[in-house]
Amino acid sequence: MDHRYDVELVKVTKRYGTTVAVDAISLRIPPSTYCCLLGPSGCGKTSTLRMIAGHETISEGDVLIRDVNVTDLPPARRGTAMMFQSYALFPHLTCLDNVAFSLKMRGVAKAERHAKAREYLSLVHMADFAARLPAQLSGGQQQRVALARALITRPRVLLLDEPLSALDPFLRVKMREELKRLQRELGISFIHVTHGQEEAMALADLMVVMEAGHIRQAGAPREVFETPASAFIARFIGGHNVLPGQSGMIAVRADRCRLGPPGDGPRVTGRVAAVEYQGPVVRVALTTEDGLEAAALLPDHDFDRAPVGPGDVATLSWPEGAAHQLAG
Amino acid sequence: MIAGGSRAADGRRPWTFYLLGTLFAAYLLFLYGPMLVIYVLSFQGENGGVTFPMVGTSLTWFAQIFEPGQMANIPVAFGRSIALASVVSLLTVLFAVAAGLGFRRRFPGSGVVFYLAVASLVMPSLLVGFGIGLGFRFLGWDASLFTSALGAQLTWTLPFGLFAMFAVVNRFNRAWEEAATDLGASSWQRLRYVTLPILLPGIIGVAMGAFTLSYDEYARTTLTIGPLNTLPLEIYALISSATSPTLFAIGTLTTVGSFLIIGITLLWVMRLQRRRGTAVPHEG
Amino acid sequence: MNVRQLVSPWSAGAGAAMPIERRRALPKLPNWAVSWLQVGPLAAILLVLFVLPTVLFLVVSFFDYDRVGIYPAFLLDNYAELLTTPATLRVYVSSLKFAAIVWALTLVIGFSVAHFLVFHVRSPILRTIFFLLCAIPFWTSGIIRTIAWIPFLGRNGAFNQILMATGITDRPLEFLLFSDFAVIVTYVHLFTLLMIGPIANSLAKIDPALIEAARDAGASRWQTLVGVIIPLSKTGIALGSILVFTQVMGDYFVVKTMSGGQSASIVSMLSTEIQAMQYPPAAANAMVLVVFVAVMVGFMMRVVDVRKELVK
Repeated sequence: MDHRYDVELVKVTKRYGTTVAVDAISLRIPPSTYCCLLGPSGCGKTSTLRMIAGHETISEGDVLIRDVNVTDLPPARRGTAMMFQSYALFPHLTCLDNVAFSLKMRGVAKAERHAKAREYLSLVHMADFAARLPAQLSGGQQQRVALARALITRPRVLLLDEPLSALDPFLRVKMREELKRLQRELGISFIHVTHGQEEAMALADLMVVMEAGHIRQAGAPREVFETPASAFIARFIGGHNVLPGQSGMIAVRADRCRLGPPGDGPRVTGRVAAVEYQGPVVRVALTTEDGLEAAALLPDHDFDRAPVGPGDVATLSWPEGAAHQLAG
Repeated sequence: MIAGGSRAADGRRPWTFYLLGTLFAAYLLFLYGPMLVIYVLSFQGENGGVTFPMVGTSLTWFAQIFEPGQMANIPVAFGRSIALASVVSLLTVLFAVAAGLGFRRRFPGSGVVFYLAVASLVMPSLLVGFGIGLGFRFLGWDASLFTSALGAQLTWTLPFGLFAMFAVVNRFNRAWEEAATDLGASSWQRLRYVTLPILLPGIIGVAMGAFTLSYDEYARTTLTIGPLNTLPLEIYALISSATSPTLFAIGTLTTVGSFLIIGITLLWVMRLQRRRGTAVPHEG
Repeated sequence: MNVRQLVSPWSAGAGAAMPIERRRALPKLPNWAVSWLQVGPLAAILLVLFVLPTVLFLVVSFFDYDRVGIYPAFLLDNYAELLTTPATLRVYVSSLKFAAIVWALTLVIGFSVAHFLVFHVRSPILRTIFFLLCAIPFWTSGIIRTIAWIPFLGRNGAFNQILMATGITDRPLEFLLFSDFAVIVTYVHLFTLLMIGPIANSLAKIDPALIEAARDAGASRWQTLVGVIIPLSKTGIALGSILVFTQVMGDYFVVKTMSGGQSASIVSMLSTEIQAMQYPPAAANAMVLVVFVAVMVGFMMRVVDVRKELVK
């Protein structure tokens, strides 16, 4: 590799007046990484993305792309390309002209830029729609065109702002696979902003969880899921029970919990608040007397062996090693 | 265009539909009734008068408009009106579109300019003309078509154009411009290839509106026009002197003229709209 | 096709030589300056052609005058004379009466028509056609549309003939033309569209789900109208009201033509003074009218923040 990181953020801060949207975050994204910025709305993830793109000025700190400081460069000279949340396809131009737009701006002759644009349209399987206007396309098709339009600039980093949020769930899973395939084949880094942890886990090599303008944890999805750094992360990525342990809070994966007669191991007892059938598993939610909430994800046949209903008293237990000690 | 619609699941109309529908029909009758009367009367026979009954039919009154003599001013005044309206329309587009773009972000003084435009729009028209006419008198300048009259009309069309642009730019998605920048467009390229083409139908609307406002204007123009009248002022002068169906013939002709201009522009805009599809851009 | 060929990695390109310390060196106009460049021409024109002349007749309103000319002075006589003449009050009352009646009529008609077009006409094409039908007469000169009423309302006019033909009356009605009635009819004819447009625009922005929710909650048609639709369309109502009000207050032609000289408006009074070259009293008269209109419009704009609605 001729560079250490595709993107490096050094104490990047964004202030709007007196409010701090992004608070001195630092992040290193190794070459060819699918990075997901994940967090609740208002956590600063979109501001971060827009600062990397150059659509938002950086209050303090530096952004480096492939080891080059691009903090003061205009968007087009950063080597980034952005895919907007609403796709922002130009409504007056055909798909072909949308994709060829950046080449036209650089003064590339018509025949050449159209040929090139056609290549990129076929890359996203949209060659047959070249003559259509954006308004004549479905959401998924618009997204493919937007992707082609971003990729034709041959970006070093592709930035995606909640790219899947406007799609229906079925299409979302399909586009997810496609994004991952493209990233792998192109060998560049993608930075993908999302508020869906499932989406982030499915896609990311590097999952960055943000909250209140800070990065709370960054790592491989598996690492984040298995060893969440804080109660916030454990709750936000879901599938965990956050409970008081002997020394501070612990996180216990709900799928490791079982219901049954109290044994010797760690456990909590409470009343069943809800039973949800979720297909392969059944989710049983408990509320303890001190108001703690906990849930167990039980394989359906385990649940059927000793079914419980709302209002029943039940004990939730887990193996000794399944608890993860949370910091703070 | 306009969204909405009452959606009774069984398709039956509520009683209010019939009430309001009748009212709407009555309104249309009220709107068109008198105009139809003058269109019909403009074909009055040679010996007929300004009211019914019709004494045969003829084109005498149309012919009189173009005959040398008393009415000969009408075609010339028409030419002046068209010329003035074209210039007014061009300047309005230029300045109102620019200002509309500027108003997309708040800037110090934006409130002052906004209320200035409101004030200019609601000011009784004759007073604007009075003030400008007075100014010209003080400066010793002669009032004329392309100086004082043009200025007086701009105080009317510019605020109109600005408010029309607010509606146009509200529908404009900022991300289009960011995408253009992202794809390497310079600010001029962005304006030329993205912003203006997307705003074009709205801009044509502003041009058309300014043109008709100017073409029909008399209250601001009357004290600023100088010796050579525009068409509305010429008609205004005729009302007191002539009581023949010629006036109605002029009305019929100018209406036909307005229709032609507006029809052609509308067709053009509709073709533009069709070319870029009908759906509104998706907002995230 | 090998995708990697399409996106060959950039060699360290354009920005490679940039030292990390270089900070925000690009000279770029601040946003407010760009905005002022864009808004400046319009603001300048309005300043020269609207503000300056207004200031001018404010100054002239204090001047002295006689049959020959006007003389710089600082006299309050013009105002004193204007405000103590009973005719002034009469004309203001008469203009306000017209404004109030026309406002009420255009509001009711305009709101009903807009409501019908937006909520009752289901086909978008039909709706567009109906809107065009409302707008088309607006493209005919106001003067022509005004005089169009003369052969319609006259003693031997179309309306009287219809009335007599259908046996509703046996003699022509005399009050139709050259009366306050004729003035009001003409105003309503000329200005109702100014109500329909803004109100329809406001109504169209109302989410139909809100109306359905109100109905679901048990609101009657009337309650839905008063509790949901009217509050949500108040911007349009305010805008339309301002337009209609200022048009009526600024009129001199309709009153002159249609009242047969029986009524006067403020501006027609003023225009008589201008024709008689009595500029200082005309200017004083104009100033009083400007202040009056400004106060009324200011009041309407306080009720509804029009600016917030217009400029996003």
